Amino acid sequence: MQKKTRNFLRISIILTITVLIGITLWFNLTSDNKTVAVGDDAVDFQLKTLDGEDFRLSDLTNDNKGVILNFWGTWCEPCREEMPDMNQIYTNDYNDNYEIVAVNVAENEQQIQQFIAGLDANLEFPIALDSSRSVTEAYNIGPLPTTIAIDKEGKVVRKQEYQLTQDDILAFINDATG
Amino acid sequence: MELKEIKCESCGHVNPPGTQLCQSCGKMINSDYDKKKIKDVMRYDGSAVRSKVRQKSIFDKIWIFFTSVKIGISIILLIAIAAAIGTIFPQEYFIPIGADPAEYYSDTYGTLGYLYYTLGFHNLYSSWWFVLLNGMLALSIIAASIDRGVPLFKSLHKQRVKKHESFYRRQRLHKQTDHTADTEKIVEGLSDKRYKVRKDGDNYFLEKGKLSRYGPYINHVGLIILLFGSMLRFFPGMYVDEIVYVNEGEQEALPATDGEYYVENNNFTLDTYNEDAKEVFDESLNQRNMVVSNFQTDITVYENSSADIVGAEPELEEVDQHSIQVNHPYRFGSYELYQSSYDNTQLKSLTFRLEDSDGNTLGENFTVNLDNPEESYQINEDIEINMRAYAPDFLEIDENGSLVSETPVPNDPAFVFETNDGEDSELSLLQVMNSTDITENNDYNIRFVESEEHIASVLTLKKDLTVPFIASGFIIFLIGLFTGSYVNHRRIWISAEDGFTLGAHTNKNYFGMKKELNQVLDSIGSEPVSDRLDDEHNGKEKE
Repeated sequence: MQKKTRNFLRISIILTITVLIGITLWFNLTSDNKTVAVGDDAVDFQLKTLDGEDFRLSDLTNDNKGVILNFWGTWCEPCREEMPDMNQIYTNDYNDNYEIVAVNVAENEQQIQQFIAGLDANLEFPIALDSSRSVTEAYNIGPLPTTIAIDKEGKVVRKQEYQLTQDDILAFINDATG
Repeated sequence: MELKEIKCESCGHVNPPGTQLCQSCGKMINSDYDKKKIKDVMRYDGSAVRSKVRQKSIFDKIWIFFTSVKIGISIILLIAIAAAIGTIFPQEYFIPIGADPAEYYSDTYGTLGYLYYTLGFHNLYSSWWFVLLNGMLALSIIAASIDRGVPLFKSLHKQRVKKHESFYRRQRLHKQTDHTADTEKIVEGLSDKRYKVRKDGDNYFLEKGKLSRYGPYINHVGLIILLFGSMLRFFPGMYVDEIVYVNEGEQEALPATDGEYYVENNNFTLDTYNEDAKEVFDESLNQRNMVVSNFQTDITVYENSSADIVGAEPELEEVDQHSIQVNHPYRFGSYELYQSSYDNTQLKSLTFRLEDSDGNTLGENFTVNLDNPEESYQINEDIEINMRAYAPDFLEIDENGSLVSETPVPNDPAFVFETNDGEDSELSLLQVMNSTDITENNDYNIRFVESEEHIASVLTLKKDLTVPFIASGFIIFLIGLFTGSYVNHRRIWISAEDGFTLGAHTNKNYFGMKKELNQVLDSIGSEPVSDRLDDEHNGKEKE
């Protein structure tokens, strides 16, 4: 074998194996957590709301609106606590530039109605029902509540996996409309 | 040490540096070589093992590192030790479903469990360092095979018939006589034993079973295919092993199909052996209360035509119906759906009855569906029960009087029922086994009657496109092992130039070769070959 062939063989084999190990490890690491992170494109989805309407994410972003997705459940205490704050800011400071959507994770309507009935004020923003958890899984939501801000271009711009303070809510609105 | 190409003093052939025996005529180039290792003199036919020759670029250094047998064996040992450690505690897929592995290992096995988890032993085959070790093993196998295989191929491919006179003497089996008359007959006799014969003047070269020498390399090709196949498991779409949990009467999207396929559990059957059926089984049947004869899930498979939008109401078209039993999966496309287990621990509904203060049951029993409860239940013409509050997993009553649930799963359902008989209404808080009056002096009691559980079938969705690689890898591996172990590479050199000289070499089973040679020699009345090993042995005994 010529020296050239030998060098070519050595280099190509070493590089091929290195690349294959790299690809394998990359697939391996990315398969576990496809968690939506800031900077990712938001996955488009369509859900029924509590009022029986169809809600589609891209309808809002195409309409030049920012969107705040709040994944919640009635059994989760911080979710229950942040809900009135969100509602208050949403009603006081309502503008056409953004929308809050509270995505309920796999609960029945009775539970949601029971929760709303116990609140002082009606929730003004839509509640989307993710009964099959498909959206929750697509966004790989871990703990509840998780809140995600999506800007007009459909990019995830902010994410928080614990209860929102009023300042947090304002920051989310700011990022979604910014 | 300066490395130079070596010109053979005897035949003039130019050999690469590091050569021990001339590639062409077999004369010893390094005169110390056979003093150090007598038996091994023909290893790689004395060719230069190339990695020991030149060191230059970083790639050469990496290459040479991995051609080392020591490194190869160390890698194999590390893999074996890691695999052994991986069996000490259960792998992640054996711990209870839903448990957080980070907590599970340290809670169950203490500090060792924590280390086990942190170092990735809980998911050994996909831990990064295990993948890396396997990649290094692949490189080691390929590098070592090329480094040793190429020179071996060269030396076996163009063997010269005529050898240096010292070469014959160095072979373990040899024979020297003065009369050359029988040469043709001997060659003919060996040719009948399926030796391939080449002739150069009065020199003969006979060979058979050359494939034996390539056994280890065939074996290595199999291993590389095997490693390639196991690597493919990590590639998306090649390997799926997921659990599907479907309640009876419900539909569930199949994981890994991006919501394209749905499966509906029409009916789950669990049959047990009839205890009276056959006497032969009585003993074993009596040891356990219930022996299952059949787990079966009757399914309908649907294709979803609106799968491209996440969360959208599925538009399902029925594709197929099937009954899945243990070991009789449903196959569709490259997927298989196996019966795995079942679960009947999830509450589905609770049934209650209403009693008056004297303990008489009133009207119809009423059943509350825990997944989607109704607001009100008619007991008889006069009495209606309204469900005022429901907590699936009752925790406490909070300050504004509503029921707080700990989880959304109906583990410990609690209700506030309002019993309304048209005149008065009264409230009671009810947990499954215990009820408390909220309003005072209640006339009615709500009593728990029975509960119904969801029957969920647990199926396993499997897909493995790597099987052809793994299977062919194993087959090639075994073929290599077979040729390497059971085929003998036998070579005989005969020269009739200056008397009759014979040297014979085999890579294994000298006994068999000696027998074969002597048979031929015996048939023409010639003396048997002598064995250097026997000679040495005898020599030692005489001393």
